[in-house]
Amino acid sequence: MAEIYKLIHPVKYFNDYLSRKIRPDGRAFHEQRNIKLNVNSIKAADASAVVKCGNTTVVCGIKLELATPKAEEPDVGFLVTNVELPPLCSSKYRPGPPTDSAQVTSTLVADIIANSKCIDLKDLSIVHDKLAWVLYCDMVCIDNDGSLVDACIMTLMASLKTLTLPKVTYDPETEEISVDTSVRTKLNVNGLPVATSFALYKHEQSNIVLADPSSYEEEMCGGIGANLITCYNNGILCGSQKFGGCNLSIECEEEALKIAKERAQAVEEVVDVCIKNYELEINK
Amino acid sequence: MGSDNTDLKDFKLRPMKCECNYLSKSDGSAILSQGQTVALVSVNGPLDIKMTNQSIEKATLEVLFSSKGGKPAIGDRYKEHVIRQTCETAILGSLYPRTGITVTIQEMEDYGGFLACCINCTCLALLNAGLSMRHTFAAVACAIDELGDIQLDPAPAQLAAARATMTFVFDSRNKTLVCGFTEGSFSEDAHSEALERCRSASQLVFDFYKDIVSKYSYVIG
Amino acid sequence: MKVSVGDVVLPGDFSEEIAAVGEKGKVILGPGLRKEVDGIYITKAGTLKKRAPNTFWVDNYQKRYIPARGENVIGIVVQKAGDIFRVDVGGSCTASLSYLSFEGATKKNRPKVVNGDVVYAKMLVASKDMEPEIVCVDSHGKKGRLGVLEDGFVFKCSLNLIRKILNPECPLLNSLKNEWPFELAAGMNGRIWIKANTMRETIALGNAILGSEYLSNDEIKSMCTNIASILAGHIS
Repeated sequence: MAEIYKLIHPVKYFNDYLSRKIRPDGRAFHEQRNIKLNVNSIKAADASAVVKCGNTTVVCGIKLELATPKAEEPDVGFLVTNVELPPLCSSKYRPGPPTDSAQVTSTLVADIIANSKCIDLKDLSIVHDKLAWVLYCDMVCIDNDGSLVDACIMTLMASLKTLTLPKVTYDPETEEISVDTSVRTKLNVNGLPVATSFALYKHEQSNIVLADPSSYEEEMCGGIGANLITCYNNGILCGSQKFGGCNLSIECEEEALKIAKERAQAVEEVVDVCIKNYELEINK
Repeated sequence: MGSDNTDLKDFKLRPMKCECNYLSKSDGSAILSQGQTVALVSVNGPLDIKMTNQSIEKATLEVLFSSKGGKPAIGDRYKEHVIRQTCETAILGSLYPRTGITVTIQEMEDYGGFLACCINCTCLALLNAGLSMRHTFAAVACAIDELGDIQLDPAPAQLAAARATMTFVFDSRNKTLVCGFTEGSFSEDAHSEALERCRSASQLVFDFYKDIVSKYSYVIG
Repeated sequence: MKVSVGDVVLPGDFSEEIAAVGEKGKVILGPGLRKEVDGIYITKAGTLKKRAPNTFWVDNYQKRYIPARGENVIGIVVQKAGDIFRVDVGGSCTASLSYLSFEGATKKNRPKVVNGDVVYAKMLVASKDMEPEIVCVDSHGKKGRLGVLEDGFVFKCSLNLIRKILNPECPLLNSLKNEWPFELAAGMNGRIWIKANTMRETIALGNAILGSEYLSNDEIKSMCTNIASILAGHIS
């Protein structure tokens, strides 16, 4: 019965839930979905992580490569991020070249990482003007059920935190490169940027902030993806993007920032615990 | 149809100049300069589109951004996304079901605050096209420098020295935030102060719209 | 922002004046106005106008035609599909024109219309959810001024210009008709069909109409005499 009702009166169906202060999937407005995180499950990659926020699943793999740095910035390495949204993750996507939304998500993720300054690209330099690391970070979405950027940032950061760089020796005379994989150093990561998505919905003259929206909620709120994405790193805002949805009042914004701040701490804890457990495991 | 914005008061934006109906063949067009930053926008619609893209509830909005070089880049998709989302909230799409509205943006000159200029120019082009809208919208860019000072509508030199740059889009009804995007890192206080100052400055942009519209309604009326 | 009649308005402005009239009796909201839960809002940029006692609208600049019932339009037949013709009227989709909606047309006696013909027709059905339908007869089955336009020349202009030249106070057509003979049909969809005796006169007529868009009434009058003198000078 409910399914039919949802098809016939999609907006009313959604409104009925909201007027009872509950969301269609049973959550309260500010409640977030459970997070499951697993690091280094892909052995072929240099570092990897899988994250599941509710149904949204994203896998990240990092591949290391060596390259010559750009002539204009000889002390800087490269961090290349890419988000893939294959047809597998949602019926909205067709096979073929990257869709607009995949490109937008890629830009958002790359911007957040760059703005948070969590990775100093100078750390990736090995020899001035000759050699630098390239980090290819590929994120593949397995299941897209909303709040995609949150999941992407989380899996990317978890992977970066476990990444170790092998020792490289470079002979300037012979230009010979030798890589010693047995000696590895950890990559320096400054803080842990956490993105939090919100959907904004106008319901009976009042604005409602839905934290961690599912793809159905995102759709109902008129956005392609989430309406509001705020990002914290070390307690400092490092990005706040708002697109579409209902207009954002000051109260709603304060509310959202508060939730985002709390979530940043929670996610930090999840990532730390996960990495600690992983390290205990391999050192056993 | 051109106009200078001479009333600058406390909130200084760079001078704006605009020409509506700049292109003869599109349904609505505008060219806008804010300081040395210039954008050209053409709006076509409502028009017939492919069955697969039609929506029975509202008009399908298509935004095309072409940079000065003409080469498409991933960053352009992001700009298109921002502008599409802004237009979608402003246009009363339900009045034009099963049709398409095309917005094309051409970059002319980028001397800081380009995306804000694009958004303002898009609004003028939509007004010129005569599409029904819920409200108009105005974008204001600002930069925060190392000392925490906020500079509205920054020029390239100020952008280079900035710790963070932000762009906010406000609607004309209650001046609530329609769209906003930031670069760089900053504190919450800086964010809310920048938001308030941009909100006040957006009135200048709305006044400018009114000025432009009154000039051309006087001519055609 | 609060506005009243005669003001320059922008989308998002609201009018308490109209709402006040609406509380007392019926109000007719024309283009550019919209009733929402908490009042009457403007949706287009232009000047808010009123015709007593209760009609309000926004006079705005527009080039794209949105079909509206009862308007006379000029269309071009683009396709013949069985019993109907598809006619391009400049809207988002083509309008349909039944072969029976011509004067004296019956199933046996079909009107002679081919692709590419220009028709002057009336909007019978125009709704945002349906394909518009046009007819070339009035409700008595008479064609009046409607029907296929033979020969002549069609050009496009903004919708404001059509409203301007059709306004009884506009001196353009009155001045021109005294100068040389011509036929003219103005469609509310921003198309004008003109026919004069010579090509030179047709071009002069077209230019006079397009040139009048941003002129005041006095300027239009002087422009018309100017064009007429140039035209006469060249012929003699």
